This record gives sequence, C-alpha cells and structure tokens, in this order.
Amino acid sequence: MSLAPALAVPPPTRDLAQGLRNIAEYGLTIVPDVLTGDVLNRARDALYRAADSDRARQREQKFSLDDAQDDTNRRVWNVLSRDPVFEDMAFHPLALDYVKAVLGWPALLGNISANITGPGGGEMVLHADQIFVPEPWASAPQGMNVAWCLDDFTEANGATRFVPGSHKLNRAPRAEDRQAETAPMVASAGSAVVFESRVWHKTGHNRTADQQRAGVFAWYTKPIYRAQENWFLSLRPEVRQFASDEALVLLGYKAEGLGLVNGVSPA
Amino acid sequence: MTHDPLVSAKQKLKDDGWCVLPDILDPSQASAVMERLWAAEAESRRQGVDTFMPVLDPNPSNVRVFYLMELDALFRDLIQHPVAVEMVRSLLGESFLISNFTANIARPGSKSMALHSDQSLVMPAPWVHPWAMNIIWCLTDVTFENGATLFIPGSHHWQTRADVPPDAHQRLRPFEAKAGSIIAMEGRLWHTSGVNVTADQDRALLFGYYTQPFLRPQVNWNAGLSSGTQASLSPQMRTWLGLDLNANTGETADLRYLEDQIAHLKAPA
Repeated sequence: MSLAPALAVPPPTRDLAQGLRNIAEYGLTIVPDVLTGDVLNRARDALYRAADSDRARQREQKFSLDDAQDDTNRRVWNVLSRDPVFEDMAFHPLALDYVKAVLGWPALLGNISANITGPGGGEMVLHADQIFVPEPWASAPQGMNVAWCLDDFTEANGATRFVPGSHKLNRAPRAEDRQAETAPMVASAGSAVVFESRVWHKTGHNRTADQQRAGVFAWYTKPIYRAQENWFLSLRPEVRQFASDEALVLLGYKAEGLGLVNGVSPA
Repeated sequence: MTHDPLVSAKQKLKDDGWCVLPDILDPSQASAVMERLWAAEAESRRQGVDTFMPVLDPNPSNVRVFYLMELDALFRDLIQHPVAVEMVRSLLGESFLISNFTANIARPGSKSMALHSDQSLVMPAPWVHPWAMNIIWCLTDVTFENGATLFIPGSHHWQTRADVPPDAHQRLRPFEAKAGSIIAMEGRLWHTSGVNVTADQDRALLFGYYTQPFLRPQVNWNAGLSSGTQASLSPQMRTWLGLDLNANTGETADLRYLEDQIAHLKAPA
C-alpha cells in the first residue's frame, strides 16, 4: 500500500476544511500563528519555568518510549495544573473545532503534557498514539493530538517526525517498521499541529549544539477511553471551578453514559 | 500440577462467551445477600436516587440499584470474590477495571430492555476481542418464567451490526440457574432482560461489569465513592477501581509486535 503521494507534511493552512482534508490524506495538518506575541511568550515562559522547577526539585518523570540514556530531553506532565495559560491551549476554540470534526462530541482530554528536546537529544520509538487499543482498529481514529509549538520546530532541533499517510494502514508500527522514512514537522513558534491517533511519529533527534524546542501536546480521545491523567486526583481545583461547559465535558466532569455518579453526571 | 476446578468453566467462557458456575453462594448466603440488597435499595431511595430507569426499562417493575459498593461492604466483597476475579482474569487478562456493580430485580410484570451486546452499545466495531464482561450473581433461582436474562448462542462472533440476523429475537435463550450461581458473560454476547410472567416471584441479579484497563469505567469511582469507603479499600481494589494515578498503562494485544517491554501510554512527541 502506498502512503502519502510524497513523503512530506502538508503546507500550513488556517482553513478548517483544508485542514481536515490534510488529516484525512496525511494524518496531520499545521495551523500557523495561533499563538502570537505576548500570549506565546507567556506560554513559553510558563512551560520552561515548570520544566526548570521539576529538574531542580528532581520531579522529572522518565517516559518508557524515550531513549533511556537521554537526560537532555525533558517532559512536563499535566501542564494544565501548572499555569492557566495551558487551559487556553487545551480548550482553545481551534482545538475544539478539530476535536468535534475528527472525533465527534462528547470527547475527553486524556492528557496535556510537554516535550522539550535539548541539544543532543535522542529519538523516540516510532509509534501511533492509539496503540493501547487492541487491533484490529475501528475505521476511524480513536484519538487526536493538538501539538502547540512554543519554539520553532526545525529539522535540526528535534521536530516531531511523521510517516505521512501511515494512518491509512490502520495499525501500529511493528518492529520491521521502525526504520521507516519520516518527514519532520517543521513549524514556526505559535503553530498548532493537529494529528490523528493512528499516524506514526516520533520525537526527532536534536542535532543542535545549543537549541531547545518545546511542544505542548493536548491528547483527546473518544469518550469510551480512560483518560491517561486521572483529573479527579491531579487537576488544580480552580481549573474545574472556572471551566466552561465544554471544558467540563473534556475533563470528564460532565458525563453521559460513562463516568457517572449515581447514574448521573458528576457536574 | 494441581487441578484447576475452574478449567472447564474458563474454556466454556472463552469458547461460548458464557458459562454458569453453580453453588458459589449456598442458599442461606444467597438469601442473606438478597436481604442486604433490599436494604440497599431502600437506602438508595432514601438518598434520593431513583431505582426506576425509564431509559433502560419499560416499567417500574424492574428495580435497579446503582450504588452497591457504596451502600454495603458486602458488595465490595462480592465484586472481588476470588472466583469472579479468576474468571475475569481468564478472559480479560491480568489487568482489568471494575466498571460498575449494579442490581436488577425483575418483579412480576417486568419487561425486556433492548437487545444488545455490551460492546455494541459503546465500543466501535469490529468487535473481535472481548473488551468487557459481566459476572452475574443469581440471588434467586432464575428461570425463563421469572425473567431470566435472554441471550443468543454464538452471537459473540458477530463483529459488526451487519452480522446481526433479522431473526435475532427468535434465537434468544434463557440463562437459567439456581440461587447462589454466578453467570459469566462476555461483552460481545447479545442479550436482553427477560419478561417476568410469574404472579409473585422476584428475580434478583447483580451485575458486576469488568473491562479492559484502557476503557473508561461506567462509574466515576473517584467522584462516586465516599472518602470513608475509599479509605476502606485495599491497594488492589484501588487499582481495580482506577482510583490512583496509574491510568491507561495496561497490557494490550499489540505487545506481541514490540520487542521491548514498553508501557502503552500515549506519549507527547
């Protein structure tokens, strides 16, 4: 089976319909300049502050799909509880438009966490995000990511690498697929990259001497899946207190059919 | 090698999608649980939680109690009964979640709910593997006349709605069992509640619903179990209820493709 027409990611677009066509064809689409100016600066500052704090306090959590020897790449989990700017990403109208179009509604926010590559940082294992779902997979994606680029993502600094069109295979990559050719997701700071849960990808190798690149990854699923983050334990209380109805749905507090208390929604 | 007394039951569950295990409770234990169930039903109503679910049942002769594990420690023991857990593990694997534990008492005059498989209601087709199962506790004798759950033999092989034959309703058979039995039924088996045509017999069943660990439980136990109840739980029960932070890390079928022992987490990249 042939994958995408050419091994490249589609050009950035602000048009939702074109973006959805890109996701159908390539598995991903890039939306430029969603975060700009002070908003982008505040988000980047908040993320690096959280990452530096975790490192200083030895609270960093390793992730098993990463290179175990790698101490330069960093992850920050549950950024939603770290600063309100991340609520602006998790519940951004653009993200909600894509979630509703790709997954339907209601949907859940499974997790929102950050990945920062550093100089010399290694690659991840090639994977699809819905690999926790046993095969054969349903004909539609069961989840999707909105990746917020807080720095420029370049080929050299570890931009996420994709196998465009691999979602059409509708299966996880196997050992023999590990060396598949990949294309870097090159995007300017402030872009949002939307990719569905079956497309194969990995963190790229950071070959720079002195650059970091930070991405915040908001992961959404259809509502039948258990959230990766247990929001009922880990969410900063005021996020719930000030949440919109749509945010309460995404966090599992406004529920239908699953996630109930006494047969009714907990909020 | 010791003989596993459940080996044939496990095989039948795997092959046929269901099996009956008799005498898990003796008659006096079954009637004692029945008494506690009516007490829980009264307490549930007293707390303002209705026991009639119009969305599920055509009339109030079906009495549903939703909050068993909060209402009485006895039900927390039943959901983790060693035989129940062993049957669940045999089908769903070592990691699983307790999704729900409810009662359905079919009183005389109760009618059938919609024909369904549990997986067909919420999970995307194709339904190739069991992702969920019920352990059904029979607190009374269960007969066709008093509303035994009706199931369709072989229906766990139906992978999409297109596989459901037009005469599905004519293929229904009752799960008949004595009080004190448990019935194990996997999530792909099509079934409905029966019709209680007796004048004076209640048919009481408890439904322990267990799923693969990557699925969202029907009940939000973090929000739904009181702090007192949560404090009474063992670490094992906390894991089975998904109360802790270790979410969505269960082993799944794709492990066979991966050479490394990797956790099945979604990773930001």
